[in-house]
Amino acid sequence: MSETTEPTKRSGAAIPLIVIGLALMAGGGWLAMNPPEGLKGFYESLEHQGIALDFGKTISAIGVFMVLFQVIKGFFFNPLDEAIHNRTSELESTFSEAETLRSEIKTMRSEYETRIVKTELDAREQIQAQLKEAQALAQQLKTEAAAQAEEMKRAASADIANERDKVMRELQINVVNLTLQATEKLLGENVDSEKNRKLVEEFITKVEAPI
Amino acid sequence: MELRVARRYAKALYRVAVENNMVAAVEDDLNGVNSLLENDDTFRDLLLAPTYGRDTKEKVLEKAFSDRITGVTMQLLRILLVKRREEEFPAIREEFIRIRRFEGQVLYAEISSSEILSEQHKKSLMEKLTKITGKTVEPNFVVNPNLIGGVKVSYDNYVLDGSIRGGLNRLRDALRYDLLKQN
Repeated sequence: MSETTEPTKRSGAAIPLIVIGLALMAGGGWLAMNPPEGLKGFYESLEHQGIALDFGKTISAIGVFMVLFQVIKGFFFNPLDEAIHNRTSELESTFSEAETLRSEIKTMRSEYETRIVKTELDAREQIQAQLKEAQALAQQLKTEAAAQAEEMKRAASADIANERDKVMRELQINVVNLTLQATEKLLGENVDSEKNRKLVEEFITKVEAPI
Repeated sequence: MELRVARRYAKALYRVAVENNMVAAVEDDLNGVNSLLENDDTFRDLLLAPTYGRDTKEKVLEKAFSDRITGVTMQLLRILLVKRREEEFPAIREEFIRIRRFEGQVLYAEISSSEILSEQHKKSLMEKLTKITGKTVEPNFVVNPNLIGGVKVSYDNYVLDGSIRGGLNRLRDALRYDLLKQN
C-alpha cells in the first residue's frame, strides 16, 4: 500500500518546493540586481574583509539548488528509489516464496515422514496379520494331518481286524472242511451194506413230500 | 436245435401212437434209434451228413429198420428225411417222452444210491413216491458210490436227499452259515 502512495506524496511535495525554488531564484536575482541600500555597506565591509557575499545571489543559488534538487530527484532519485524499492520488493517476494516453499517442503517432509511411519506401521501390521494367519493355517494343517493320521490308523486297525476275522473265518471253514473230509472218510470205511440198507429203509420210512 | 419244431413233431407222433395204441412200442423204437445215433458213429454220419442224398439215407433206413420198428416210427423217419429235419430226432424223442409222461400222469424220478437197491427197497420206494406225489413214478435207478450211503431221489425241481453225502453237505452248509453268522 505504501509503495503506491509514496511517489504521489513525493510528486505532491515537489511542486511547492519547485515553485518556492523558482520564487527564490527570481527573488534572489532581483535582490542581486537591486540590493537594498542598508545591505550595500555590509557587502562592502565583507568585501573589504575578503568575503564576497551577496544575499541575492545566495538566495538565487538556494532557489536553483531547490529546483535542481527537485529535478534531479524527479529524474534520478525517484526512479532509482523506485527501482531499489521494486528490487527490494522482488527480493522480499522471492524470499517470501522461498520461505513458503521451504514451509511447503517442510510440511511435505513431515507428511512423507508421517506416511512412511504409517506405511511402516501398516506393513508391520500386515506382516503380523500374515504371520498370525500362517500360524493359524499351520495349526489347521497340523490338526487336519493329525485327524487324517488318526483316520488312517483307525481304518488300518479296522482293516487288520477285518483281515483277522476273514482269516479266522477261512481257518474255521477249513477246519470244518477237514473235519467233514475226515468224517466222510471214516463213514466211507465204516458204512457197509447192512448199514446202507438201514439208511435206505430209514429214508423210505421218514421221507415226506417237499414243502 | 429248434425245440418248437421238435415239440410239434413229437405231439403229432404221440397222437398217432395213442390212436394206434402203440405208445410204448413207439417210445421203444425212438430209444433204440436214438441209442444207435449216440453210439454208432457210422450210422450218425450217414443220417446227419449232408453229403448223402435223401434216397440213399431212406434206403439205408428202410433196410435197417423196416422190419424192426413200428410203421409209425418208420414213417416219422421218412418224413424227417423229406423235410430235412434228421437233426431234430433226439429232441423229438425227448419231447415225445415228456408228452407221454405228462399225458399219462407219470413222474420221472432219478433214484441214486451208493449200492444197487434190493427189489424190496425199490418197490417200497416206488410206493412211497407214488403216495407222496400222487403220480405213477417212472424210476431211473442209478448207482453213485459218491453218496457213501443212503438214497437220493430227484424229480421235477425237487430233491429228496437221504444220502450220507447229502447229510455231510447239509452239515457243512450249516456250520459255514453259523461261522459266518458269528462274525
